[in-house]
Amino acid sequence: MYISTKSRYGLRALSNLISQDCCSVKKIAQKEHISSDYLEKIFASLKKAGILKVVRGANGGYILNRQPKEITLKEVVEALEKPEFSCPSFCSCHSKSIWQKIQTGFNQVLQSLTLNDLTNQEEKSVYLDYAASTPLDPQVLKEMLPYFEFDYSGNTMSLHSFGSKSSQAVEVSRQTFANILNCKNSEIIFTGSATESNNMVLKGIAWTNQKKGKHIIISSIEHDCVMESAKWLEKHGFEITRLSVDKYALVNLEELKKAIRPDTILVSVIHGNNEVGTIQDIEAIGKICKNRDVYFHTDASQSFGKVPIDVQKMNIDLLTASSHKIYGPKGVACLYIKNGTKIEPLLHGGGHEFGLRSSTVNTPLIVGFAKAASLCQQEMVKETKRLTQLRDYLIKNILTSIPDSFLNGHPDKRLANNINISFARVEGESLLLELDFYHIAASTGSACSSNSLEPSHVLLATGLKPEQSHGSLRFSLGRFTTKPEVDYLLKVLPQVINKFRQISPFKA
Amino acid sequence: MYSQKVLQHFRNPHNFGSMKDPTSVGQVGNLACGDVMKLYLKIEANSKGEDFIKDIKFETLGCAAAIATSSVVTELAIGKTLKEAMEIENKDVIKALDDLPAVKIHCSLLAVDALIEAIYSYFKNTNQTISADFEQKHNRIITCQSRLKH
Repeated sequence: MYISTKSRYGLRALSNLISQDCCSVKKIAQKEHISSDYLEKIFASLKKAGILKVVRGANGGYILNRQPKEITLKEVVEALEKPEFSCPSFCSCHSKSIWQKIQTGFNQVLQSLTLNDLTNQEEKSVYLDYAASTPLDPQVLKEMLPYFEFDYSGNTMSLHSFGSKSSQAVEVSRQTFANILNCKNSEIIFTGSATESNNMVLKGIAWTNQKKGKHIIISSIEHDCVMESAKWLEKHGFEITRLSVDKYALVNLEELKKAIRPDTILVSVIHGNNEVGTIQDIEAIGKICKNRDVYFHTDASQSFGKVPIDVQKMNIDLLTASSHKIYGPKGVACLYIKNGTKIEPLLHGGGHEFGLRSSTVNTPLIVGFAKAASLCQQEMVKETKRLTQLRDYLIKNILTSIPDSFLNGHPDKRLANNINISFARVEGESLLLELDFYHIAASTGSACSSNSLEPSHVLLATGLKPEQSHGSLRFSLGRFTTKPEVDYLLKVLPQVINKFRQISPFKA
Repeated sequence: MYSQKVLQHFRNPHNFGSMKDPTSVGQVGNLACGDVMKLYLKIEANSKGEDFIKDIKFETLGCAAAIATSSVVTELAIGKTLKEAMEIENKDVIKALDDLPAVKIHCSLLAVDALIEAIYSYFKNTNQTISADFEQKHNRIITCQSRLKH
């Protein structure tokens, strides 16, 4: 017996039937790039051997006759190949016993394997929550490791060689960010988180510039750390204008122009929204602020590393970028502050980071963040293209396969990795939990999943009713997301939605 | 964050679905809050002539805790006389679920409220006298509802 291309194609085709109920020859042939006629012959042999059976009807095709674990490869190969194996029975050559041994061993191996071995038996775990946080890229970890060792344990402020080794590493990292953002080294400071950067911008600008005025403009779809900092400032005598957004979560530039007053000191608008993925026209917003002589800050936590950013071209005065959203370590972020910007630090002390952020500098994390940023920069064009295709494929298929579902955010002014969809008559927290049973990680704008029991302020700002935002799910893709993972979600999601629609008192 | 019991009832809820010709229906909650529960009762007289819950079904839109508490309330109430069923409190529901996270306690109240409303509506429809205490419970529920609705 031997194994020819016939068995090879046969097994490939069979692998399509393991996880599916029924499939047509044409569909499998197309997917596996085999001719339909050839595959039809293979399947006819497998049917004859009792491995497959035919399903008639409109959605007809072939189906496994038994459980995959009950079908051995020996059966499959025997059904498809000629039975002879080199020496025929009448042969009495010297090598005959060897061939017989090989034949026996070969049969044992084939007998021990089943169709189950064709599939990956490990439990699938599909992480689609990259917007919440990303795994550390192994290359980043490798880059960081030496900086945890003795040689780099010096304080960057110390004059000895240990200190200067650490500070050199930090300065090289700073240069990386300056290159990416098109600014000077001295305009980049490292902080502990994007939340810290955003807090510093709002509170630090407010404190230093209050003689000019006490008016700050933000959008109504900022991240909680900007929303809450603004609320805190409001309690301390500052006036906050929250710009409305349209149904796509885009800020209206005319509304912004009208909102700027002589006492306005800062405009802060998020670049790529964390929930619905909408990308604002930052360049136009920056231009308006520049013309009116108002500081402009953008929270680029979700967009940095994914969308090209040039702070000079885009008229940005302050910009927040985060490490753990771009496969870097958690606990580090950066803030671009244009030279000459009047801002008070949050943390006073030893004068680290040009006196703007006192705290012993965390060398390994900063080195890791810089490595993560340069990897993103290198891969940006290719990765954006890949993710955009996956994103649009996922959106299109969800919207067509699940009735009463609709996309939140903008169809194309959108982060390449963001999908946010509302499903009528279901609630997000229960969907999340059910998806988790299928080892799929996602996120929701439902009130029930938040401690405040308030639905997402971003979805409400885009005009969604509370019940529509309760039924929203966000899937965010990333560097390690594959097409099979997306297909797995597409297979599981309709049945999950259907389960809860059956329990729901509201019917279509 | 949820107990195993909650997860079990959430994954495999008991007595869910609508009911044909129910004797009575109770609905509480509010779409804006994300939790709506509808409870169907089939009430008949037992051998002693007392009204009892012969069958019960629920339909719920809501989080895992809302679905699990609905399921448990139906388990607690089925087979009980109305008098006994009226005694069910949210602490019984919480106990049957091996506890609920603090932010989800309100879900257990909602499930018990749905039961109260279904029984109340049965009393009203059959012109039975309603105790002051039970009337008060009903009033609390509808005031709470109307406050949520605006």
